[in-house]
Amino acid sequence: MGAGFRVVHYLNQFFGGIGGEEKASAEPQVKDGWVGPGKAIQDTLKSRGEVVATVICGDNYFAERTEEATEEILRLLTPCRPDVVIAGPAFDAGRYGFACGQVCKAVQDELGIPAVTGMYEENPGVDLYRKDVYIVKTAGSARGMIEAISPMVNIACKLVAKEKIGKPAEEGYLTRGIIVNEPIDKSAAERAVSMVLAKIRDEPFEPELESPKFERVKPAVPIRDLASAKIALVTDGGLVPKGNPDKMESHKSTRFASINIKGLNALSAEDFEAYHIGYETAFVNQDPNRLVPVDVMRDLEKEGMIGKLHETCYATAGVSTSLENAKNIGQGIAEQLKAEGVTGAILTST
Amino acid sequence: MRLELDILNIKDVQFAEKTTISDRVLYINRNELQKLLQQDKRLSKVDIELAHPGEKCRILQVSDVIEPRSKTSGDGEDFPGALGKQGTVGEGNTCVLRGTAVVISNQSRSRDITASDMGEDAMGEIIDMSGPAAEVSPYGKTHNVVVLPYPTDEAGLDEYKIALKIAGLKTAIYLAQAGKDLKPDETEVYDLPPLTEVAKSMEGLPKVAYIFQVYCTSFPAMAGEPILYGDNIRRLVPTIIHPNEVLDGAIVNPYHNIRGCETYVIQNHPVIKELYRRHGEELCFVGVIITVSQYTEPERERTVAIAAKLAKSILGADGVIITKASGGAPDIDVAQAAQRCEEIGVKAVLIMYDVASGSGLEPMSIIFNLPGARAIVNTGNEWLTLILPPVERVIGTPVTLPSGISSNGELIKALNWLAGALDQEGRSKIISVRY
Repeated sequence: MGAGFRVVHYLNQFFGGIGGEEKASAEPQVKDGWVGPGKAIQDTLKSRGEVVATVICGDNYFAERTEEATEEILRLLTPCRPDVVIAGPAFDAGRYGFACGQVCKAVQDELGIPAVTGMYEENPGVDLYRKDVYIVKTAGSARGMIEAISPMVNIACKLVAKEKIGKPAEEGYLTRGIIVNEPIDKSAAERAVSMVLAKIRDEPFEPELESPKFERVKPAVPIRDLASAKIALVTDGGLVPKGNPDKMESHKSTRFASINIKGLNALSAEDFEAYHIGYETAFVNQDPNRLVPVDVMRDLEKEGMIGKLHETCYATAGVSTSLENAKNIGQGIAEQLKAEGVTGAILTST
Repeated sequence: MRLELDILNIKDVQFAEKTTISDRVLYINRNELQKLLQQDKRLSKVDIELAHPGEKCRILQVSDVIEPRSKTSGDGEDFPGALGKQGTVGEGNTCVLRGTAVVISNQSRSRDITASDMGEDAMGEIIDMSGPAAEVSPYGKTHNVVVLPYPTDEAGLDEYKIALKIAGLKTAIYLAQAGKDLKPDETEVYDLPPLTEVAKSMEGLPKVAYIFQVYCTSFPAMAGEPILYGDNIRRLVPTIIHPNEVLDGAIVNPYHNIRGCETYVIQNHPVIKELYRRHGEELCFVGVIITVSQYTEPERERTVAIAAKLAKSILGADGVIITKASGGAPDIDVAQAAQRCEEIGVKAVLIMYDVASGSGLEPMSIIFNLPGARAIVNTGNEWLTLILPPVERVIGTPVTLPSGISSNGELIKALNWLAGALDQEGRSKIISVRY
């Protein structure tokens, strides 16, 4: 590439030098060459590329008329013929992050031009746009400007050259949530033996899977008077009415079933079964009370140990269910329990 | 103990009048083999089919894959205990027909099959002989002798499942015996002396052991199911076994452990082979401990404590590799085993697949978070899918799903359902990466 590739830089009113919060309604406008932090981009690019223009728009203007603003911005930058668009970095500024993400996405989707931006991990723009746009991980404020520019420029160069973008940690962007199985020249056994030797020698090693961070959930207050409590049974063992009429999933569940057990003294194998790939369900199919102990709960109800067995049992399957779906299922069941005046739940699972 | 695997590199398999090997082609007398297998009173009949690499052929309802092998010297019977006579293996010579595999296809009556048995749908585990699935599985590259046993009306489901496995084992032996007098193309030698001698001249090398979790009791072994020398090891207390015994037929893959492990993988155990490869150079391979994952307490805690103690105080290991059986519950056992090992001074590394199914934004590749269980090697993500092209031939019971998709058509299948694509014993050369 002789003259280097063409970059258009997107900035808000503040970094674009128009003004502060009082100028947040500034209309989209374009200036030749770099403006403000665009200089750092140009210095990092050197001869590889040129910041040919800078598009500036007020954060409020963008937030209040997003569609219109996006179209205007696209109209302004198209004649600049960019090979890549760089937006921000927005650091922790929410409206600015939203605008940067939206501009990058529009540039990619509507003009087919690659784009990259930068934000602090907690910027609300991250969750909205990380799947669609490369967002470089930045500090929380403009004090992190210098550190942000280099990875942004690096990714911009690779996008223009259509080179493969490496892993998030290597290239400095926030994970986009794409999982890929890649070939690797050493077998897992070979890598495992190397890893244990490294561990024994106290050398650093790279784990290949990351542990989840579990939230600490505050337990509910214990039930003071069990004899008057309404208790529900909930399971992730895949209990379904026989024949699975609601077509519940046997794994990777996305929903739960509300099963009516009103008036039943026990679950019958003629009416219920387990649909679940994570354990041997034959034993539950023989006697579903082994999974959801309606029979025992009825005894406790008659004895007066509990006030009442709730007439609905909630069931799902689990097995590699995504965290998001699991949360939704749990919240959905909890809402129903609360609405029905249930004060305690027993979860039986596999 | 010294084991010599005498390898014959088989280039083709065909039916013929006599079972023999000539010019490295395995000829099979189909009638003779069928008669042998049909002696089992639990079976009404047994079909045998051949499938070759490159064919547009799909094998359905795969229940296990076994490498044809038979002992030609030494102490043991073949698969002792599983096929009747007791004994031990791991010494002497074993003939191996490399490049071939016995594939067992489960032809039980579909009405009895539970969701946990079947998996995703009635097609079960699949092997394609060409296309993307063949590329990721070793069984898309072997000449496969597919055994399809059918149950009698009287045989119970559990009885049939065991008969299924036995038919596969018998076939593996029958075929390998055709090679017993032939000069091998190559010989793999596995020689490891007892503990009292193994570290001689290797005092400076780190001692590494392998903890092999054979299956998980959330899928309890059946009564009479032959897993370790014919025993179903439901109540197995962790024990020490010589690595050669694992390679030579002491362990048969449990019926329910099909996802991620086949008997073929155990016979060619990747971790054991790798430890042997580096033995004497970078490490001293001190031994193998086998465990069964327990889904109740105190069984799990007991298993974990005993396994860790065996590694540290009996084998004297500085580090262990730990692998798991398929499923989610076994993850807890191996994570706790790693944690326990680390607590008592044994470095632990886990091998497992990535179970994340949702958006890759959640770090849900694994379901535990223990400080001692962070050193993990991954064998790929089990839920990523491949598009399998339509095929011209299907072996097994053809299936048409309610959606209209049929088993000979184009299929979208997660690696989890493709036999051989994912294993948790370290064979695979794929890694799950997040972008």
